[in-house]
Amino acid sequence: MYAFNYHRPSSIAEAVKLLKASSDGRCLAGGMSLIPTMKHRLASAADLIDLNGIRELAFIRREGDALVIGALARHVEIADSADVKKSIPALAALAASVGDPQVRNRGTFCGSLCFADPAADCPAGLVGLNGTVITDKRRIAADKFFNGLYETTLEKGEIVTGVSFPIPEKAGWAKFANLASRFAIAAVMVAKTGGGVRVAVTGAKASVFRVPEMEAALAKNFSAAALDGIKISPDGMNNDLHGDPDYRAHLVSVMAKRAVQAATA
Amino acid sequence: MYVGQPIRRREDFRFLTGRGTFVDDVQLTQPILHAAFVRSPHAHARIKAIRTDAARKMPGVHTVLTGADWLKAGYGEAEGVWPVNDRSGKPARTVNRPFICVDNMVRCVGEIVAMVVADDRHQALDACEAIEVDYEALPANVVTAKALDKGTPLVHPKFGTNEVLESYHGNPEVVEAGFKKAHHITKLEVPTNRVTASPIEPRAYMGHYDVMNDRYTVWTTAQAPHIVRQYFTKSLRIDEHKLRVIAPDVGGGFGMKLYHYPEEPLALWGAIVTEHPVKWTGTRSECLMGDTHARDHYTVGEMAFDKDGKILAMRFKTLAAFGAYESQWQASITNAYHFTMLSLAYDIPGIFTEVKGVYTNCTPVDAYRGAGRPETVYQVERLIENGAKEMGMDPFVLREKNAIRPEKIPYTTAIGITYDSGDPPELFRKMRVLAKYDALREEQKKLHAQGICMGIGICGFFDMAGAGPVKMMNDLGAKIGCYDVASVRVHPSGKVTVFAGSHSHGQAHATTWTQIAADRLGIDIEEIDLVEGDTDRVPFGIGTWGSRSLSTAGMAVVAACDRVIEKAKKLAAHMLECAPSDLVIENGQFIVKGTDKKIAFAEVTNAAYHSGDRPKGLEIGLEETAFYDPTDCTYPSAVHLCVVIVDPETGRVTLRDYFAVDDVGRVINPMVFEGQVHGGCAQGIGQALMEECAYDPSSGQYLSGTFMDYAIPHSTDIPSFGIESHTTLTPSNPLGAKGGGESGTIGAPACIANGVIDAIWHLGVRQISQPMTPKKIWHALQSAKAGR
Ligand SMILES: Cc1cc2nc3c(=O)[nH]c(=O)nc-3n(C[C@H](O)[C@H](O)[C@H](O)COP(=O)(O)OP(=O)(O)OC[C@H]3O[C@@H](n4cnc5c(N)ncnc54)[C@H](O)[C@@H]3O)c2cc1C
Repeated sequence: MYAFNYHRPSSIAEAVKLLKASSDGRCLAGGMSLIPTMKHRLASAADLIDLNGIRELAFIRREGDALVIGALARHVEIADSADVKKSIPALAALAASVGDPQVRNRGTFCGSLCFADPAADCPAGLVGLNGTVITDKRRIAADKFFNGLYETTLEKGEIVTGVSFPIPEKAGWAKFANLASRFAIAAVMVAKTGGGVRVAVTGAKASVFRVPEMEAALAKNFSAAALDGIKISPDGMNNDLHGDPDYRAHLVSVMAKRAVQAATA
Repeated sequence: MYVGQPIRRREDFRFLTGRGTFVDDVQLTQPILHAAFVRSPHAHARIKAIRTDAARKMPGVHTVLTGADWLKAGYGEAEGVWPVNDRSGKPARTVNRPFICVDNMVRCVGEIVAMVVADDRHQALDACEAIEVDYEALPANVVTAKALDKGTPLVHPKFGTNEVLESYHGNPEVVEAGFKKAHHITKLEVPTNRVTASPIEPRAYMGHYDVMNDRYTVWTTAQAPHIVRQYFTKSLRIDEHKLRVIAPDVGGGFGMKLYHYPEEPLALWGAIVTEHPVKWTGTRSECLMGDTHARDHYTVGEMAFDKDGKILAMRFKTLAAFGAYESQWQASITNAYHFTMLSLAYDIPGIFTEVKGVYTNCTPVDAYRGAGRPETVYQVERLIENGAKEMGMDPFVLREKNAIRPEKIPYTTAIGITYDSGDPPELFRKMRVLAKYDALREEQKKLHAQGICMGIGICGFFDMAGAGPVKMMNDLGAKIGCYDVASVRVHPSGKVTVFAGSHSHGQAHATTWTQIAADRLGIDIEEIDLVEGDTDRVPFGIGTWGSRSLSTAGMAVVAACDRVIEKAKKLAAHMLECAPSDLVIENGQFIVKGTDKKIAFAEVTNAAYHSGDRPKGLEIGLEETAFYDPTDCTYPSAVHLCVVIVDPETGRVTLRDYFAVDDVGRVINPMVFEGQVHGGCAQGIGQALMEECAYDPSSGQYLSGTFMDYAIPHSTDIPSFGIESHTTLTPSNPLGAKGGGESGTIGAPACIANGVIDAIWHLGVRQISQPMTPKKIWHALQSAKAGR
C-alpha cells in the first residue's frame, strides 16, 4: 500500500467536505474491493474517507412503493433482510451469491456499484431491477449510472447514500460463478415490472448490459421457453482463463432462462 | 494404549485460537527490517541496465542489493539434494535456480533482480518501484508439450536443447509382445496440469547475524530445518556449527516448503549487510508465482488388453517440465517417484516409459504432495477407464480382474519395485460395499434417462511412501540420507521430552509421536512433550515429506524409547532386586511379573540421575538417541470412488460423493489419518477440477497470480467423505505403519477425471485435460455434438 491519510467522518456533510478538500480522496465502505486493490498497489488515495462512522447510511427499509438500501447496508444484511426477501427475493438471492461470508459481512451493495467491476453482481441488480442511485446531491437512473469498465457517471466528490428499487411483479437471479473468485462469469437479473421486462447481464462484457431481444420476447411471454432460439452474439464478450466469448454468450442464454425460472418458481 | 486412539490434536488449542507462532509472528528485541524484491515481469528477457540510485535515497532504505553484489560477495548456489541424473549416461544439464539474477538474463516471471531492505515493507516496496530495470524481452517457451519442438526458444542456449534428462524404465520386450497379441488397444493424451501447493501460510524467512558471537539464525517456513542449514553451507557458505535454523509453527508445506528459495538466503544476506534482523513474508501473489509449481507432465500413453479385459502391457512417453531451472528436489519426481509406481494396484506384465525432463520459461517445478504419483495414477487410470468402456466392460469389474492378488504379494512390478504388503482385491471388495456400487450404477441409468449426467469415477493404486532406506534412496538419486532420528530425554522427575528430526507443519506430530512414546514408556501422554524444528536442539534429521515421518522419525521414537526402557529396566531391576526380564511397565510403574512388587517410573528416573547405588557399569542419566534407517520404503494402497454430476448446459461439475478405502498399515491416530485423507482429497479435487498455474502461450505472461484467477476448492466444493481402512501391516518397521499423507492427492485427480468422463461418455466425450473446468467441459461437449 501507498501511504494515505485516514478520516472517519460521522455525517454525510462532513464526508462530502473532506472529499472536496482532498486532491485525491476516496470513500471507504466495506473495503472489499478498495483495500485489495490498494494492497496490490493498483490504487492509491491521498485521503481515505471511511464512511463506516456515518450511521445514517446503515439501513434497509420500505419507503412506500420502493425498497431503499443505504450505502452501508452489507451484502449479508440484504441477503437476510425480511423486507428484501418479502419485496424483492431476487435481490436477496443476489446478495447471498456474492463472494464468501467474509466478503458479505463487510462489502456493501453501493460500494460494488461505485467500483463498477465488470464481474460484480450488484450492477446487474441495479439495472435489472431498474433501481435509482441516490447521492448526496441527485438521483441517477440505473441506465445512466455505469460508464464502461470500472467507470460510473459519479462526479468527483459525489457520495452515494443509497439505492432505491421499485418493487417488481416478479424477478429472478441466476449466476454462474468463477470457481476462483466467485464473481460472475455470467449472471442475469430478470425482472417483470409495471414498466416492462428488463434483462440485465453482468460478468460477460466490460460492463453490465441489457438484452433487448430477450426483454421483447419475455414481455410477450414471461417464460424460459420464450427465450429459446434467441442467439446471443459473442462479440464484445470478455475472454479470460475462465470463459471465452462463445462460452460466455452461451452462458448468458442459460442464465437468463434460469433467472426466468427462478422468477416464476 | 494410546496408539490407535483418535486422540484430540494437542496442538490445536493454539492454532484454533489464532495463537500459533509462525515466522511472521516472531519478535526480537532489536527492530526488524523488511526485504522486498524487484522481480522480472517477463518470462524471458535480457537485462540491459539496472538503476538503483533513486531507491537508495528513499526514506527508510538501508540497502539495495543486486546480482553484481552477490557475485562480489563470492556466494554460491542452491545445489540439488536430489540432483538430475541422466539414466542414459549423458552429462546432467543442471542449472540451479539462482537466488538473484547474476547473468543479466531472466528466464521466468518472478525471478528476482534486486532486493531492497528498509525499515518497513511499504518503504521497501516504494523503493522497489524506484528501481529502473531495462529489459529486452525475448520469445518465451511456456508450453511443455512443445518444449522440444524445433524452433522453440531455448531456456539455456549453452545446451543446444531444452532437454534436461532422459530416462527409460520397464521391460520393453514384454511390452512389445503384449501389444502384438492385444485384443484391444486404448490410446490417450494424458497430460497433468501445472498446479501449486498454496498453503495457508505463505513462505516467510527472517535472518539474523549476531556479530558478537559470530552466529547466524534463520527462522524459516521449512519442512526440513537441517536440510536448510546444509543448503546455507553452499549458498552463503556458512559453516553448519555457526548457523541455527528454526522452523516454528508452519502452516502447511506439502513438499513445496522443502527448497532453498531465493528469498531465504537473501533475507540472511540482508541481515549480514545491514547488521539488523531482516524479514520477508511472501504475499499471496509472490507465492503463487514463486513457490515451486508442480506436476506439468505432458504424457501420451497406450494400453493393451486381452479379450477378457486383462491388461497385457502399457507404454508411455512423458515430457516432464522442470521450469526455467532445476529446483533442488525436482529429479526425485522424474528419477524416483513417477515411473516407479506405474503398475498401480494391478498385475501388469509389461510396462515401458520414456521420460524426458524439459526446461521451459516457467517457475521451477518440484515435489508437491504426491510428487509424481498423481501423474502416474492419472495416466494409467485414464487408460484403464477408457479401455473398459471401449470394450463394453464394467470398469470396476475390469479393475478387480487386474488387481494384484494377495497371494502374489510380495509382488515385484514390471518396473522392478516390490510391494511388500497389501490386498487390492479386498480394497475393491470393501469399496463395492461402502459406495454401494451396484446401486450407484442402477441410479446412473435412471438419471441418464432423465438427462442428468451422473458419473462414477474409480481408481486403485499403490503409493511409495516412507523414504528411506538410505541405500535405496541413494540408488534412486538422493544425495541426502533418508533415515530419521529421535532423542528421548527422560528428566529426573520422570517427565519426558522427545526431540525428533521430522517437522510437523500440520501433521500433528505433537500428538502422534507422544502417543507412540507414551505407549512405549508406559506413562501418561501429558508427561511427554515434543520438540521439532530447531537445529540447535534436535539431532540432524531429514524432515517431513513423502509420507515418511512415521516410518522413519516415528520409528526412531520407538527405538529410542526402547533403549530408554532397556536401561531403566536394568536400574529398576537393581532397585527391586530382580532380573530386568522379570519386569513389565504399566501405568508409570515397573512391576515384577506375577508379584505385587513394583516401583514408580519417576523413582527409577530420579535414581538414574541422583543415586550412586546403580548396577555396575550402568551410565548415569536416562537419554537415548536413535538414528533409524528403515529396511524398505512402505507401500500404502488405496481404492477411491467418486460420484459426480455434470451440468451439460454449463459444464459445471458437482462432486456428490467421495469414498476412499485405504491400507496404510497400523494407524496411530485415526482422526489425524482421516484429516490427512480429507486434506489430500481436497487438493486432488482442486487439481482435477480447477487449479492451474496458467501462462499465456504467446507472451509467457503468468495468468494465475492471485486467488481471483488461481482457483482452489472452497469448503462448499467438497462433499462429506466416506472413509474406511483395511489394514495389512508392513514388515519393514516395528509398528507395521505405512504412510498416509498423500493418498488423497494421488488418487483424487484420476478418480474425478474418470467420474466426469463417465458422466458424459454417452454424449461422446472421451477425454478432457485437467483441470476439468466448466469452460473446457462445455467445449468438449460442443465438439462431441459436432462430431469432432
Ligand atoms: C474474495 C472476494 C470475492 C468477491 N466476490 C464478489 C462476487 O461474487 N460478486 C460481487 O458482486 N462482488 C464480489 N466481491 C466484491 C464485493 O462485493 C465488494 O464488497 C464490493 O465490490 C465493494 O463494496 P465495498 O463496500 O467493499 O466497497 P469498497 O471496497 O469500500 O469501495 C469500492 C469503491 O467504491 C467507492 N465507494 C464505496 N462506497 C461509496 C459511496 N457510498 N459513495 C461513493 N463511492 C463509494 C470506493 O471509494 C471505492 O472506489 C468480492 C470481493 C472479494 C474480496
